[in-house]
Amino acid sequence: MTTFIPIEWPQLLIALGLVCISGAASLYYHLKLERDLFIGVIRTFAQLLAMGYLLNLLFGLNNAILVIAVYLVMTIASVQIVHGRVKEKQVAYFAPTTVAVMLSYSLITIVVTKVIIGADPWWSPQYFIPIGGMVAGNSMNALSLTLERFFSELRNKRDQVEMYLCYGATYKEATESIFRTALKAGMIPAINSMMSVGLVSLPGMMTGQILAGADPADAVRYQIVVMLMIVGSTAMASILVLHLVRKRCFTSAMTVVLNKYE
Amino acid sequence: MHSPSHKIQQQPDSPPVLTFDNVSFSWPGGTGLRNVSFTIHKGQFVLISGASGSGKSTLLRLVVRLEEPERGRILLNGTPLNTFFPPTLRTHIGFVQQQPIIISGSVRENLVFPFALHSRKNQPAPEDRVLLEWLDRLALSQVSLEASAQTLSIGQQQRLCFIRAVLTNPDVICLDEPTSSLDRESREAVEMAAEELIQQGISVLMVNHTSYHPTCPHMHLHVADSTVSVTP
Repeated sequence: MTTFIPIEWPQLLIALGLVCISGAASLYYHLKLERDLFIGVIRTFAQLLAMGYLLNLLFGLNNAILVIAVYLVMTIASVQIVHGRVKEKQVAYFAPTTVAVMLSYSLITIVVTKVIIGADPWWSPQYFIPIGGMVAGNSMNALSLTLERFFSELRNKRDQVEMYLCYGATYKEATESIFRTALKAGMIPAINSMMSVGLVSLPGMMTGQILAGADPADAVRYQIVVMLMIVGSTAMASILVLHLVRKRCFTSAMTVVLNKYE
Repeated sequence: MHSPSHKIQQQPDSPPVLTFDNVSFSWPGGTGLRNVSFTIHKGQFVLISGASGSGKSTLLRLVVRLEEPERGRILLNGTPLNTFFPPTLRTHIGFVQQQPIIISGSVRENLVFPFALHSRKNQPAPEDRVLLEWLDRLALSQVSLEASAQTLSIGQQQRLCFIRAVLTNPDVICLDEPTSSLDRESREAVEMAAEELIQQGISVLMVNHTSYHPTCPHMHLHVADSTVSVTP
């Protein structure tokens, strides 16, 4: 078993030098990514350091309300990020996304911490926050993909959807194939990652545990749970959000709200 | 009910099917229709003409409730459109869009998919014999029911969409330039088939901006400057 080697500030600063490769590429090829890169680095430092201190505090206090509050902030932040990525103006999807995220993240996180890991109490911050964070982070990407694909397909196939409606289809029948396409778009990355895990990629959580000195066999079992819960949460969040958002894309007369072109 | 008939005559004292009662509608750009009123009877043929962008298609979209009037009301068989459950309303109205919309799948799947919809659960799908009869009638006898509909020419797809709408046996059928991509022979076949629908008691609203003159008695709606002038 390897011993844990902590990373100190000078080592972090050396690691910062690695970002200079991206910065140099941006300057050399005129990519204009310097600003985003700068903000990204600052945010990485600030957000993760803040989370580190917060976790320390939470572990010390061991208070259920505080743990749930932090968890809620994480999920709302993930909804905000999805909202920022999708950029749909004609359909209000913030509220349905929030509902989908809250329900799916909470259910999956509680099942994993209480039933699978068997943490006592189930909200134990050491388990609940990292597991909840991984569910939120991965489902957030799935939700963005699902929603983006749904809106773009509905726009591109608006004539076909109208044709179905004209034959007496409900909005659900008229968007059946679009629903399936969007759901697949959200679910496929998590399923694909199961194909390559352990062969091509060593996931962050497992690597983190191993670096921190955990037995690789234990780390692997945790990682398997994480992979499976991500597949479950991305599917659940995507299904919920599609059901809730799809309804909002139609008027009470069952006509399409979205214009063909943005 | 789907069999072709070649007798052309209009029923003079038939009941009103579709009524526009002082209907106004405007698009965001400002164009639209103003105070439109007319009544169409069962089995009546209506030719709609007007320049491009004058509002002919809008008129049809209002009938099928893809657009809602800002003022006035539209009645189907005496009942305001907005009191129907939309899918139920649309089972009474056939709508053939200007651009043919084909789903991926065979010619047969394209013709019978409406009968798989929940709103038509009590309406049996037509048999292959009826489908082949219609294909033959619209100069599509060389097209197999198993053929992929997406491989057909635009003109063939346009006729397929016409057949699909007719097969659902609506009270009113709205045809938005159904012959725009057709050669003379196919155009005449579609026009004749549309005129013959009135024998089944179907009211036909056909937008056409070619020099088409229906051979059956008909009403003429001319759309210009946001208004509709009616020639009985």
